[in-house]
Amino acid sequence: MTEALLGFLGVFVIAAMRIPLAFGMGFVGFAGLVFVRGWPAASESVAQVVYESGFAYTLSVVPLFILMGNFVARAGLAHELFRAADAFIGHVRGGLAHATVLACAGFGAICGSSIATAATMSKVAYPSMKRLGYADSLATGVIAAGGTLGIMIPPSTILVIYGIVTETNIGKLFAAGVLPGLLSAALLMAAVSWVAARRPDMAPAGERSTWPQRWAALRGIWGVVLLVIVVLGGIYGGLFTATEGAGIGAFGAFVFALARRALSWKLLWQVLVESARTTAMLFTILIAASVFANFINFTSMPNDLREWIVGLGLPPVAIVGAMMLIYILLGTIMEELSMVLLTIPVFFPIVTQLGFDPVWFGVLIVFVVQIGLISPPVGMNLFVLSTLLKQVPITQIFKGVWPFVAALTVSLLVVLMVPQVALWLPSLMR
Amino acid sequence: MKAVRRFIDRVCGAVAALALFGIMVLTFVDVSGRKALSQSVPGSLELTELLMVLVIFAALPLVSLHGEHVVFDSLDAITPKAFQKWQRALVELICAAGLLGVAWLMWRKAGSLAEFGDTTALLKISHAPFVYGMSVLAVVTAVVHLMLILHPVATHHVGVEVPGDNDADADVKGLT
Repeated sequence: MTEALLGFLGVFVIAAMRIPLAFGMGFVGFAGLVFVRGWPAASESVAQVVYESGFAYTLSVVPLFILMGNFVARAGLAHELFRAADAFIGHVRGGLAHATVLACAGFGAICGSSIATAATMSKVAYPSMKRLGYADSLATGVIAAGGTLGIMIPPSTILVIYGIVTETNIGKLFAAGVLPGLLSAALLMAAVSWVAARRPDMAPAGERSTWPQRWAALRGIWGVVLLVIVVLGGIYGGLFTATEGAGIGAFGAFVFALARRALSWKLLWQVLVESARTTAMLFTILIAASVFANFINFTSMPNDLREWIVGLGLPPVAIVGAMMLIYILLGTIMEELSMVLLTIPVFFPIVTQLGFDPVWFGVLIVFVVQIGLISPPVGMNLFVLSTLLKQVPITQIFKGVWPFVAALTVSLLVVLMVPQVALWLPSLMR
Repeated sequence: MKAVRRFIDRVCGAVAALALFGIMVLTFVDVSGRKALSQSVPGSLELTELLMVLVIFAALPLVSLHGEHVVFDSLDAITPKAFQKWQRALVELICAAGLLGVAWLMWRKAGSLAEFGDTTALLKISHAPFVYGMSVLAVVTAVVHLMLILHPVATHHVGVEVPGDNDADADVKGLT
């Protein structure tokens, strides 16, 4: 138990020294393994983890979904999603902010990354909102929060990685993300309405579009709707595995981008290299976290903690609720994927021991990651917006995001108390 | 130094990009062939595995080169500037050392795979050269970290370029 606690402490101290998190987790995991198992076993174990993570067919799902998202982003689809949403809802108060949430949700159905969704939407939605006189705080807050729909609405990088690490069915995880994703989109829109009602000057209404304009706007997005139906429908229907679906999706998105003449050789090269770089970055974290997990699993901590918590005799939901609270607090200062991967070896056995569905826990984890991504002071989405929108001070971004943090927290509570929201769709799958 | 950067960018980028494109086409052809014509590409699983190694390990030097590893840098605001320079150098040195350690482990692993003549199940492609490749690319990444001591880059997330980062193609790389 003590060595495991020292390990966790070590990771935090090393991270604070500005050493990349992946390297820190790897170092501490390796040192811990040397301590509990000796040098030969430790070095053999690390070599095996690196080797197996490299040569892993199922892990090819990660770059393929990243590639699909990047192709569709480059094809300029985000503009059209935003235009379509705006055509339908732009005339109400806060309409462009509502449209941002809807466009993020639509984009999230192709893109599995919160950061990529927020980054793409900042280019599309921010200028429109600015032109209409929206307050910077609301405009950036809604883009940052809407971006997190990218990881709840399938496909989702976080759910894929959770599925791989915990050996949970990725297709079921994807199905489980749909309703909670739509629920959080609805609550984010409710938060927009709340802000707009209190401060109408922050969120003026736009012009009403005519029906012919609306149909025209919808025509621009049918190709992607088809792609989403084939890929996600195929995975849900059991026609293909997540990896196969990702391959079909990436290829379809490639054809889609070609058909729209959005791809030059240079752009194709960039999309491929950028996707490969994102993959490599995620894999360093994944590999290092596996090394760390190997160490933790050799200590008595997972067992001790499980026995202690189960022995407390608390209501199981309260225990999971406490875990969520820990995650939300940690998420304000820690990078979320590393946080999840670090804690899974300890938390996951407790959750399954209590008899909960790992699919449900996966969805809860995505919620805390969403919240962590937009809660100051360390929220990756907020930093990304601050980098991309240099003219907006970070304090404005921080100020505008709170109503949306609250909305996502309410969504988390709903799914915590009513697991069926997440589990109903997967229960229909074969 | 710029020439070395560009060389690594081009060569590693080309390997990673081609391998990823290969995985995409291979998966598509294999799956659609299997579902529509009941005919799969023999050994496509194995090929995907080998290509995955290339995607990850060829892109690794690029992640380091462009400062795209996840770093907790919130303490920068309160760290004295004079100290930061030394801190950065030390961090790069530590990263390089870790990567050389991984490279050594992989080289050893490759040696034992070569000794046992380990191959893929269907196509009988030898694993060892790929694992030697992992090792070499880990060394390249370590060298990149040593280069970063002299030419630090700003850290940022992949796809979200920091303006002013002296990338060859920084102008168009942001997610437009």
